[in-house]
Amino acid sequence: MVERTRTPLLTMRGITKRYKAVEALVDVNFEVHAHEVVALVGDNGAGKSTLAKVVAGVVVPDSGLVEIDGEPVSIPSPKAAQRLGVATVFQDLALCDNLDVTANLFLGREMRNAGVMQDGRMENIARSVLRDLSSRIPSVRTPLSHLSAGQRQSVAIARTLLGSPRIVVLDEPTAALSVAHTAEVLTHIERLREMGLGVILISHNMNDVRAVSDRIEVLRHGRNNGSFDAQRSSYEEIIGAITGAWQMAPASRASAPADREAAGR
Amino acid sequence: MSTRTEVNISSPTPPDLPRQSIGQRLQGLGGNARQYGIFGALIVIVLLFQVLTDGKLLLANNVAALFQQNAYVMILAIGMVMVIVAGHIDLSVGSVVAFVGGVVAVSMRDFDLSWPVAVLLGIAIGGVVGAWQGFWVAYVGIPAFIVTLAGMLVFRGLALVVVGETVAGLPSSFIAISKGSLPNVLGFASNMDVVTLLIGALAVAAIVISQLRARASLRKHDLHVEAAGLFVAKLALIAVGIGILTVILSFSAGGTPIVLVVVGVLVVAYSFLMGRTVFGRHIYAIGGNRLAAGLSGVNTRRVDFWIFVNMGLLAGVAAIVTTARAGAAIAAAGQNFELDAIAACFIGGAAVTGGIGRISGAIIGALIMGVLNMGLSIMSVDPAWQMAIKGLVLLLAVAFDLLNKRRAGTQ
Repeated sequence: MVERTRTPLLTMRGITKRYKAVEALVDVNFEVHAHEVVALVGDNGAGKSTLAKVVAGVVVPDSGLVEIDGEPVSIPSPKAAQRLGVATVFQDLALCDNLDVTANLFLGREMRNAGVMQDGRMENIARSVLRDLSSRIPSVRTPLSHLSAGQRQSVAIARTLLGSPRIVVLDEPTAALSVAHTAEVLTHIERLREMGLGVILISHNMNDVRAVSDRIEVLRHGRNNGSFDAQRSSYEEIIGAITGAWQMAPASRASAPADREAAGR
Repeated sequence: MSTRTEVNISSPTPPDLPRQSIGQRLQGLGGNARQYGIFGALIVIVLLFQVLTDGKLLLANNVAALFQQNAYVMILAIGMVMVIVAGHIDLSVGSVVAFVGGVVAVSMRDFDLSWPVAVLLGIAIGGVVGAWQGFWVAYVGIPAFIVTLAGMLVFRGLALVVVGETVAGLPSSFIAISKGSLPNVLGFASNMDVVTLLIGALAVAAIVISQLRARASLRKHDLHVEAAGLFVAKLALIAVGIGILTVILSFSAGGTPIVLVVVGVLVVAYSFLMGRTVFGRHIYAIGGNRLAAGLSGVNTRRVDFWIFVNMGLLAGVAAIVTTARAGAAIAAAGQNFELDAIAACFIGGAAVTGGIGRISGAIIGALIMGVLNMGLSIMSVDPAWQMAIKGLVLLLAVAFDLLNKRRAGTQ
């Protein structure tokens, strides 16, 4: 247990990303271990989604170090992220309305045999994955445009499982969902942790975050602004860090270089 | 009373299942309602003109001519529907046809290339033109509308450079590509060309076998199949349709036009490409949600690039068919071809917003335009009115599609 947590699944050190004059991320540090759900919270524009996009290979940081299993890696493209075992569910649901459920699940990694898609095999797997998530989708042949918001979210999460990933990034998975669907999605997330994955959960909803996550990392103006144990920290502490009422203590800022040394050793 | 209870138990409606329109339900039956709709429209238009022209429309030679006259639209529409599904447009194909046609004709007349070499050269140049436009669209990021509008001017200009004056005197075996028919080597059976009958029979057999295999594979994977009665009726309808077409063609002067074989092969190959290969799936994905496709690991730039290369190749084929049909290359060839191809796609059910459209639909769209052309010409309707009528048909087809979608969306 201690051995496993010593080398995180994903380590990010000093990640910085600027868009012209805007600093989206400044010297951000972040870690995820296996069997861990880490929530990434912060106000609008705090850099949560940008950080998720760095992990997903959509945004390449200006500087900083990304390690997976302690090995330095670069994630220049979504394909590269897939190869490294990172799966992402984006806020603006990266699904194609005109394609059916199976086509969406396998988009970008279609099973093929001599150039021809193996539709039957893909449909069988699609159905079994959806059954595992106990999602209520009438048929894997249904075009996405005919599904409800909750069903679409199930498809998006089922997608992540297909590549047998080790790290799953969920960007606002419950934002547009009803209470019942939200509960369903939170169950999916707990399932991912049981499967031994590292989960990064980005959310605005403090109830959801506290319900499923092990650790809560706060971003503010593109910078780290505190790390909290989800079970032991109070709601007020976390909100304080998000809004800036509570500034990160200088002591913990000083501890960052020490961490870096430890990682280097 | 008891049956009602039974129904309620056996099919509990999930609370979050969105209500479906009739069109969506029909789609759920394993068919494509819109596709059947266009096919029905084609049949209605054919029957209408058959009556209006006192039976002249479906005379054997007219049917053969219908394919020979419209082969270029069908060939271009295949490429265009892929461009449109991906959310682009190509306005340059008419000019590309003129340019490539000019190069092919000059290469045969002035450089004594044999016609097969000239044909390959033409298709290759079409591909290079497509690569040029694909580069600007995919890798520089200029909207296809602008790139191909520029291409329309550039390649019309180059066509004028290559074809200063009409290049005539092309080899007869080249001209036969468009004007010729398959040789009736098997003779005639009561005035019917046996080669044509054989091709028709093979086509029916191939369709029936492929449909049966698709159905068997669905069964094997325990997936939904359409009702047996509906399936048999569909197959019977296809068989009768092809049968009638075959018999009519077998009475024509030449039998099976060579261009019909070319178009047939292209339709089969490209339907397969769009329906069963990863490239085709990615074209639909890009058209449906370009951002999502990119995030999912689809190389959207590469797909865009190859869509335009492919459009160029098919424009090359269309150039050869057009030049062969005219028997000469002229700089003004291919005028408005892009509009014919685009209209065929939209009549055939392609969505203006991208993501939706089929090869078979585009071909049916091209046939609807072709039948309108031929029917109105036989009735000696003023060409000015022919144009106006075709314009209205295009407008109505897209309006019908839009209203249909809106109704499905609000329900």
